[in-house]
Amino acid sequence: MWYLLRKLGLLLLTAWAAITLNFLLPRLMPGTPADAAIAKLAQNGPVDPATRAAIEAQLGVPTGDAWSQYVQYLGNVLHLDFGVSYTFFPQSVSSLIMNALPWTLVMVGLVTIVAFILGTLLGVLAAWKRGTWLDTPPTLGGTFTSAFPYFWTALLLVFFLGYELKWFPTSGAYGRESTPTMSLAFISDAIGHAWLPAITILITSLGGWILGMRNNMINTLGDDYVTFAEANGLHSRTVAVKYAARNAILPNLTGFGLALGGVVGGSLLVEQVFNYPGVGYLLFNAVTNQDFPLMQALFLMITISVLLANFLVDILYGLLDPRTRR
Amino acid sequence: MIDGTRRTRKRLTSALGLGLVTALALGACAAPESGSASSAGGSSSLMLAADNGSPTFTRNFNPFVIEKRNMSLIINEPLMVVNALDGKSTNFLQSDFTQPDAKTIVSTIREGVTWSDGEEFTPDDVLFTYALLQEFPALDTTGVWSRLESVTAEGQDVTFTLKAEDSSAPISVLAVPIVPEHIWAEQADPVTFTNENPIGTGPYVLGDFNANQYTMTKNETYWQADKVAAEELVLPAANSQLDVVNNGYDWAYSFMSDVENTWVAADEGNEYWFPAGGTVGIAPNLTKAPYNDPNFRKGMSLALERDAIAENASEGTVDAAGQQGLLLPTQSEWLTDAIPDEGMVTQDTAAAEAAFAEAGYTLSGGKLVDANGTQATMTITTPNGWTDWLRAVQEIQKQYTAMGIDVKVNQPQPAAYFQAVQNGDFDVAMTSFGGNGSVYQGYYNLLSSDFFHPIGESAPSNYQRYSNPEVDALLTEFRMSVDENRQKEIAGELQEVMYNEVPIISVYYAGLWGLVSNKSFTGWPSAEDPYMTPTPYTSSALVVLTTITKVDS
Repeated sequence: MWYLLRKLGLLLLTAWAAITLNFLLPRLMPGTPADAAIAKLAQNGPVDPATRAAIEAQLGVPTGDAWSQYVQYLGNVLHLDFGVSYTFFPQSVSSLIMNALPWTLVMVGLVTIVAFILGTLLGVLAAWKRGTWLDTPPTLGGTFTSAFPYFWTALLLVFFLGYELKWFPTSGAYGRESTPTMSLAFISDAIGHAWLPAITILITSLGGWILGMRNNMINTLGDDYVTFAEANGLHSRTVAVKYAARNAILPNLTGFGLALGGVVGGSLLVEQVFNYPGVGYLLFNAVTNQDFPLMQALFLMITISVLLANFLVDILYGLLDPRTRR
Repeated sequence: MIDGTRRTRKRLTSALGLGLVTALALGACAAPESGSASSAGGSSSLMLAADNGSPTFTRNFNPFVIEKRNMSLIINEPLMVVNALDGKSTNFLQSDFTQPDAKTIVSTIREGVTWSDGEEFTPDDVLFTYALLQEFPALDTTGVWSRLESVTAEGQDVTFTLKAEDSSAPISVLAVPIVPEHIWAEQADPVTFTNENPIGTGPYVLGDFNANQYTMTKNETYWQADKVAAEELVLPAANSQLDVVNNGYDWAYSFMSDVENTWVAADEGNEYWFPAGGTVGIAPNLTKAPYNDPNFRKGMSLALERDAIAENASEGTVDAAGQQGLLLPTQSEWLTDAIPDEGMVTQDTAAAEAAFAEAGYTLSGGKLVDANGTQATMTITTPNGWTDWLRAVQEIQKQYTAMGIDVKVNQPQPAAYFQAVQNGDFDVAMTSFGGNGSVYQGYYNLLSSDFFHPIGESAPSNYQRYSNPEVDALLTEFRMSVDENRQKEIAGELQEVMYNEVPIISVYYAGLWGLVSNKSFTGWPSAEDPYMTPTPYTSSALVVLTTITKVDS
C-alpha cells in the first residue's frame, strides 16, 4: 500500500512540473504566432505590410501578464478547456485532437504492441538458441534495422512499395474521395493506407526489442538459479520462460511503458512522410506555427500519457518483481 | 539516372524533411513511366494543386481568414483581378472603373449577375462587403481601410473616396472578394464564420467536400458561363512533388526539383513557366556599421556573381535580378536610361575592392580589414528550411568569403526569422520584395520611412530601415500623380536611388512555380502570353479558368 501511495505522490508531483513546463516552453520560443503566420504566407511571395495587423486581430494576441496567463492556464487544464487553435483558427484545440487521436492510437498503438510482443518473443528465442539460425538472423537484422532513421525507411518504402510496385497508397489515412464512417468499405480503405506507415514503424522499432530482450536474457541465463533449475531437470521450455524470461523482461517492460506513453505523441516523422492525419503531424503543425494553445494541449497529453504508462509499469513491476515492493 | 542519384546524395546531406522525401523519390527516377496514373486526354475535369491540406482540409470557406480553402477566392469574385506581373487588370464584378482624380475611384457594378443561390447581386452587396471589413479589421487582410475614407453607391456606381491622393489604390482596393449580404449579414461573428456552404457569384460552386479532397462544379448561371471550359475542378489535399508528377494534374503550383526530368518528362503536354513574382535580395541593416556606408553596400553589390547565385538557388529556372528594383521583363516599360545595362550589376571584384576601400576597408593578406586591421564580419540571417534561399546564401557566403569577409549564416525558425528582421535584429537578412503589380507599391514598401521603426520595434516592411526625405517626397508625388509619364520619371529617379545608394542588394527573382498540362486544356499563361500569374491559389485563377479552352479529343 505504501508503495502505491509513494508512486501516486510522485506521479502528481511530476504531473504538476510537466504542466508548468508546458506553459513555459512554448513561450521561450522566439517569434510570435503572427510571425509564424506571416512566414507561412511569405513562402508564396512578399507579404503586404497591412496583412500583419489583420492577422494579429484574427488570432488575438495573448492578454495579461505571464502570471495571470499561468493561473488561467491551470484553470483551463482542470476543465480540459484548451481554447482555440491559432493554426486552424477558428477550430478548437479539443476538436483537432479528437480528430487526430484515433488515427495515431490505432495505427501507432497497434504497431507498438505488435513490435513489443514480436520483438520480445524473438529475443527470448534468440537468447535461448544462441548461435543457431534462430539467433543470428534476428540479431544481425535487428542491429541493422534499428539503425535506420524513420524517415529514411519511410522514403524507401514509399518509393519501392508505393511508387514502383504500386502495392500501397503513398499518402493519407484513407482514399481521396472517402469520408470517415464505420462502414466496412471505409475501414478496409483505412487499413490499406495504414500498411506503409505501420511497416515503417515496425521495421525500425522491432530490432530494439529483440536486442534488448536477447541481451537481458543472456545475462539471466548465466545466473545460478537458472543453472540450478536446469540441474533439477526442469523442462527446458519451463526454464526459459518461467525462470529466465520472467526476470529478463523487466527492463523491456520499462521501455514498453515509455513507448506506449509516447504513442499518443504520434510518430512525427512517419506521419509527416505519409501525410497521416495523426497527432504527430498535428504537433509538427503546432510547433512550426507557434500555436501555443495547441502545443500546450498536445505536450500535456503526451506527458500525462507517459506518466500514466510509467505508473502502470511501476505497478506491474511490483507484481512481477517482489523485491521492488519493499 | 547517374545524375539523378548524385543529386539525391547531395540533398541528403544538406537538407532534411518532406522536401527531401520527394526529392529522393523523384531524383532517383529520371524517367518516370509516362502517364501512369493520369486519365485519358480530353477530360472535362481539371485537377489542381492549389490548396494544401495540413495534412487534411478543414471546411472553412471564409475568404478573409488565413486558414481558408483557397477556392473561396474564386467563389467570391472581386470587382477586378490584377496581374501582379504587369499591373494590368481584368474586370469581374465591375463592368468598368475610372479614377476621375487621384482621391476617387468610381466602379460601375456589373448588371445581370446572380448569386449561386439565385438571389440578385447588387451594389448593396459591394457596400456591405466593404463595411464588413471596416467593422472587422481582422478581415481586412490587405489593409484597404488604411487607404479608404468612405464607400458610397449611386445606382450602379460605387464611389471609393480615398484618405489621400493615391493613384496606386485601385489594384488593392478593388481586389476584395465580394460576399453576399443576405448570408453574411446574419453572422454574429464573421471572423469565426466558417461559411461551410459558400454562396458566390464565381464560375464554380462547391461540389463534394472531403477531408482529403474537394471538388468544384461549374456554376451554370455564371454571368460568363460560356467562357468556362472545365466542368469540374478537383483539389486534392496532398500535393507533394511525387503526387504532382504521378497523378496527372492539369495545373499545379509547386517548386519542382529538376523540372525538365520530372514534371515535363512525366507526361506529354506538360509545361512549366516560372515568371518572376518578386525579387529576392539581401537587406543590410542600415543602422549598423559598416552597412550604413553606401560605399560598403556598393562593394557588396559589385562583389556578387548573381547568375551563379540564381543558378544555385533555383536550378537555373529563374534569372538574376538587376539593382533597379523592377520585375523584368514584365515591368520593362518602366526602365530608365539613366542607369547602365538596365540596372544589371555584374561581378567586378576590382570595382568592389575600390568601393570597399572608399568605405575604409582594404584587402590585407586575403582579408578585408578596416583601419585597425580588424576583419569585416557579416552574419546573414535566413529562415530555416527555405532551401532555395539557403542555397543562395551559401553561394553568397562563398563569394563574400572570397572577397575576404568573414561570413556566418544564421538560420532561425521562420517565425523567429520574421521576428528578427522586423525588429532589426540582424546584420544582413535574406528577404523578398515587390511582386504586387504596382511599381509604386513595390518602391513604397521597400523604401518609405512610413515603415521606419527604431531597432527593437517591429517594422512591417523596409526591414533594412532606409529613411531619406527626398525619396519620401518622390514616393508621395508618385502616389498622388495620375500622369503616367510623370510616374515613369519618378520611377526612373527611384531606380537611380536603388542603383547608386544600394539600400538593398537585389540578387535574383523569386519564381512563381506554375506547372501546367496541355493534355485536356490549353491557353495557359506562359512566357509568350503572360496574361496572368500561374498562381491557382489566388483570385488570379478566375482569369485563367475563364481563358483556357478545352482540347478537342
